[in-house]
Amino acid sequence: MIFKKNWKKDWAVCANELSKLYPVDWTQKRLHALDRLDLYVRRGEVFGLLGPNGSGKSTTLKLILGLLNPSSGSVQVFGAEAGTLEARRRIGFLPENAYFPAFLSGREVLRYYGRLVDLAQRKLWKRVEELLELVELTAAAARPLKTYSKGMLQRIGLAQALLNDPDLLLLDEPTAGVDPIGARQIRDLILGLRARGKTVIFSSHLLEQVQEVADRVAILHRGTVIQEGTLEDLLSVREQTQFTVSGLAPVARERLEEWLRGEGAEVLEVTHPRERLEELFIKAVEKRR
Amino acid sequence: MGNSLRHIYAIATNTFTEAIRQRVLYVLVVFCLVMLGGSSFCTQFDFRGDDFKFMKDLAYAGISVIGLLVALLGAALLIPAELERRTIYMVLCKPVRRFEFIAGKYFGLVALLTLFVVLMAGIFFLALWGHESALTGDILAASKGRPTELQAQMIAEYRAAAYDPALVQALVLLWAKLCLVTVISVFLSTLASSTVFIVCCTLLVYLIGHLQSVAREFWLEGTVAAAWYTRAFLAALALTAPDFQTFNLIDEIIAGNAVLWSNTLPVLGYAVGYAVVALALAALVFEEREL
Ligand SMILES: Nc1ncnc2c1ncn2[C@@H]1O[C@H](COP(=O)(O)OP(=O)(O)OP(=O)(O)O)[C@@H](O)[C@H]1O
Ligand SMILES: [Mg+2]
Repeated sequence: MIFKKNWKKDWAVCANELSKLYPVDWTQKRLHALDRLDLYVRRGEVFGLLGPNGSGKSTTLKLILGLLNPSSGSVQVFGAEAGTLEARRRIGFLPENAYFPAFLSGREVLRYYGRLVDLAQRKLWKRVEELLELVELTAAAARPLKTYSKGMLQRIGLAQALLNDPDLLLLDEPTAGVDPIGARQIRDLILGLRARGKTVIFSSHLLEQVQEVADRVAILHRGTVIQEGTLEDLLSVREQTQFTVSGLAPVARERLEEWLRGEGAEVLEVTHPRERLEELFIKAVEKRR
Repeated sequence: MGNSLRHIYAIATNTFTEAIRQRVLYVLVVFCLVMLGGSSFCTQFDFRGDDFKFMKDLAYAGISVIGLLVALLGAALLIPAELERRTIYMVLCKPVRRFEFIAGKYFGLVALLTLFVVLMAGIFFLALWGHESALTGDILAASKGRPTELQAQMIAEYRAAAYDPALVQALVLLWAKLCLVTVISVFLSTLASSTVFIVCCTLLVYLIGHLQSVAREFWLEGTVAAAWYTRAFLAALALTAPDFQTFNLIDEIIAGNAVLWSNTLPVLGYAVGYAVVALALAALVFEEREL
């Protein structure tokens, strides 16, 4: 591998020929969830894992954490074998459909997990309040988690993933069940983390959101990467150009089109941009805050 | 090492808190009623001084049954539920070793069990005190505060029966026995993921544990000609099940026979040793388990 020489410096996660077979029943039948998957994630990069349901996104994340053992192949996290304490110390994880001890309050659950990531008491209490503030749950912090809504649980999940100020954040569908404003906050949070040099790997089905934050994406299908690269490379259509103009009179528009044709360009589409529903929603709700 | 202890402590307190918040302590109301009923039953029927034996039997049975429920269900409900609802991911994705999880769960349950036993013991002692003061109060009232020699002797006997210091030994032994049951159900819940299965198997081991010495005798002495598989089965039992018969000291204490701490301590030592080995095995099994 070309990477091997330098991976300690550059790579947050290296997965080599990673396979995972799940036992399905008592017979010898196995389910091939991952099939010799190669995945390299640079330090300081926001990496999106895409793919249809059952393509192995969650499985990949669990293998990076060492919650599952690979059937073959290996994963390294910052040069340490996945699953070792050394690796887990630097990771924050938000599982999909996160569940929490239902009888604890939001604050208690964060304090509990904070003790597991070895924060000293005083620092921990301060950190918990900061995180509650960050995910906007300070007001609900004293209520038991069984009274939380889905999105609130997701926010608590996010807060607990940040307790140890991780160098690598693994988010499995972080915006599932979160309202558009919350999703935007999560996006800003991810970008903020990237600005601080942290690495983020997340899976999502909301491609638009992925597009907004990810530096690179990999598309998984049946346990293998079928496409991978920077968004720049994958998406830009270099031979086309788009303008968005305001105050253009119809006459001027016709002249412009004519001029463009004269320059040898072909006008493919002239439309009025519609406001995106997401923006409409955010504007409407934010007015009432 | 310090980290491990902190993790175990955090997980144990969490387990304990969660159980308490689920209002398990209401079960104690049942125990209170049983003790009250037992005490008034004694007053209505004359047990000729065996009142306290009766009450001790009753309390022992009550603490055993309720403690057994806590020990059996605690692990069997909590650990599979953590796996099923995947709250365990939140713990094991942190720098927490798996044995810390197992030990934390176990000690949380032991703390719960301890609270139960202490509270039930408190209720039991209150009931004994109430009954004793009722009996001696009757005698004193009848004698108008100047008991005859015989009456004084009766009072002394009542008090000796009610406030037998060996009862503390009996309770400690009972507590140790319940902790052993807990370790078995913790061990089994690292293997299996069905609550019913875990409860049934633990009960089975519990029952077999009372026959353990019989099994061991057969196996060691080989006096009975048996097929190899019977012998292998007996050997397996003799080697793995805890010997609950060593706890028969409790019956001795309740019967009023003298039992010294020097008799009790080896039994406690045995329980600790067994629990340590079983926990270590549970941790080994759990280490390999796919979540
Ligand atoms: N514990 C398990 N036992 C057996 N099979 C499993 C288990 N977990 C996942 N699988 C299978 O492995 C494959 C990959 O699952 P995975 O959860 O990684 O998919 P995913 O990409 O996260 O899907 P989704 O978008 O629905 O979350 C699926 O076919 C799934 O059925
Ligand atoms: Mg998934």
